[in-house]
Amino acid sequence: MTEQTPQSQLNSIATNGKPLLEVRNLKMYFPIVKGIFGKITGYVKAADDVSFYIQSGETLGLVGESGCGKTTVGRCIVRAYKPTDGSIVYQRADETTVDLAKVDSKELQTYRKDIRMIFQDPYSSLNPRMNVFEIISEVLRVNELCSPKEMEYMVAHIMEQCGLRPEYMRRYPHAFSGGERQRIGIARALVTSPRLVVCDEAVSGLDVSVRAQILNLMEDLRREMNLTYLFISHDLSVIRHICDRVAVMYVGKLVELADANALYTNPLHPYTESLMSAVPIPNPNLRDRKNRIRLEGEVADPSNPPSGCYFHPRCRYAKERCSTETPVLRDLGDHHFVACHFADELELTGVRMA
Amino acid sequence: MADNNNLLVQVEDLKIHFFTNEGIVRAVDGVTFDIHSGETLCMVGESGCGKSVTARALLQIVHRPGKIVDGSIVLYRQKSHDQIEKVRISDLEPKGREIRSIRGKDISMIFQEPMTSLSPMYTVGNQIMETIMLHTKADKNQARARTLELLEFVGIPRPNRIIDEYPFRLSGGMRQRAMIAMALSCNPRLLIADEPTTALDVTTQAQIIDLIQGLQKDYDMGVLFITHDLGVVAEIADRVAVMYLGNVVEYSDVYTIFNDPQHPYTQSLLRSIPKVTATREKLEVIRGMVPSPFRRPSGCPFHPRCPKAMPVCSEIEPKTISLTENHQVHCLLFDEDAKKPVREMAS
Repeated sequence: MTEQTPQSQLNSIATNGKPLLEVRNLKMYFPIVKGIFGKITGYVKAADDVSFYIQSGETLGLVGESGCGKTTVGRCIVRAYKPTDGSIVYQRADETTVDLAKVDSKELQTYRKDIRMIFQDPYSSLNPRMNVFEIISEVLRVNELCSPKEMEYMVAHIMEQCGLRPEYMRRYPHAFSGGERQRIGIARALVTSPRLVVCDEAVSGLDVSVRAQILNLMEDLRREMNLTYLFISHDLSVIRHICDRVAVMYVGKLVELADANALYTNPLHPYTESLMSAVPIPNPNLRDRKNRIRLEGEVADPSNPPSGCYFHPRCRYAKERCSTETPVLRDLGDHHFVACHFADELELTGVRMA
Repeated sequence: MADNNNLLVQVEDLKIHFFTNEGIVRAVDGVTFDIHSGETLCMVGESGCGKSVTARALLQIVHRPGKIVDGSIVLYRQKSHDQIEKVRISDLEPKGREIRSIRGKDISMIFQEPMTSLSPMYTVGNQIMETIMLHTKADKNQARARTLELLEFVGIPRPNRIIDEYPFRLSGGMRQRAMIAMALSCNPRLLIADEPTTALDVTTQAQIIDLIQGLQKDYDMGVLFITHDLGVVAEIADRVAVMYLGNVVEYSDVYTIFNDPQHPYTQSLLRSIPKVTATREKLEVIRGMVPSPFRRPSGCPFHPRCPKAMPVCSEIEPKTISLTENHQVHCLLFDEDAKKPVREMAS
């Protein structure tokens, strides 16, 4: 068993290519409050010791089931939450670094334009009382990023890039369809020319044909504007499509992190394997795959997680050690990180390539 | 088609229109399909294509101002051992005695949102027992015993405790299981599942699909499964009806739909989904978006987005063409009569 902590390994990688963002041992605990005196009776560990890095220009996927803490991690990075512990090291354009987890809200403002977010629900994330121009330009106005004269030009420009007609700038969100609203959300995120964009389930609420349009748009914009994405989703097919590397979370912990191809074809964590096996494949000729894995039971309660490895009550390879000792995230070569005691012994099956 | 002995429901040329202040919405515009016992028919399409409304019509629970304006829905109901009664559901009063004896008994339904379709005011057990006591002569104790049996059957742990819990105490997957238990409480002949797994995680989705398929085998039920997820369709369907703006545009067995689709919409839809088995490449898209139901395009409603549209497509509404006995397409590309006059005009 390796003695290294996830942090030290990630540091070793960080030295050979400076990542745009490095999350180290991020913890976000939400207190459970009982009674009128607000007595704290416990904590929901939404993110527990999460470490990863994002290189400039790549797309990192964050997958997991609902309640696994993937959204919490995203929100900590845009600093909608102040993390309980850990650090979020961001590399500025001049190659100096800053720990976003520590800075105060005033200083944080300078990074708001660099790290932006795209939300899931295009209906509730746009203020119905603001027209499209006001929605997109709000960030420019609040942060005084440009003069009012330039503002109109900038909004028109980003709308065009996002496939919206600038003539519709004065319309209100209700006049747009779901796909168009999502484009407005994307335009709002990109108008400041950010360096990192956190996409939280950005295409999950969309219809199949519109989803394909938005995915292609995001890919085009990434290339044109030199963006880096943290793409949070529960949809493994979408993640596969858009991501270079993928991190899998389970009950607040990172269980596997690897290159997308390696993760899908050769998963090393039993949870990743069962996720892969549960994805319905749109090909009826493959439906009689015999080796399907069906997970028993439910996702563990993050306020009262099981002992040892959180996945052990549902894991079909679980041994005694799994219930007593918590596995740490370790590198099994080629930057393939996994948090499982038996990762190098198990032979797991991934997705068969078509 | 399968032999007619196990025919369950036959829907013919069903039209459901919504009479709103802004105009008439043709939500379902001439839909024909049938379901046999033991088979799964998947209805697939994007939002607003009329798949949910069609399913609701089978139980006469179409929301106002929607109304069945034309067509028929016939339920083949087993009266006794070898006697089958034909019930025209489309003619029944939505609040009448007869349809109420069918709902939950012969046909039952699972809804998309397990959060909102269970009443928060009653315990899970109460809600399931209500259905049982309504449709059978069981008394409270018998109904409770049957409910416990059902809860155990759908894989709910500790049914003795869960039966007296309120729905908010259950997770999404458990609520959906409770819904399924309720739907199955009177051994229905037809189960309508309206996006039952859309709100669930992949691993829970896989569990629920397994459960429905297992139950179907045990009870020889017919299942009408509504979804927009083509992966789920490929996994469970026997036959598939692809819908677009109120029409079934293609209707065939699952292998034909996926391996040899003929309608341009089906073809583009299949190409526009990201696949877990394929590497990163640009997705093919269907241009434009689903039009507003108030501005339904003339002729074939798909023509503004169709890659193979011909001039005639904006003028004539397509008919349903049978390519083979079990492959129907709703497209003018296959209608030789419709194409002719255009060719003559062109020459």
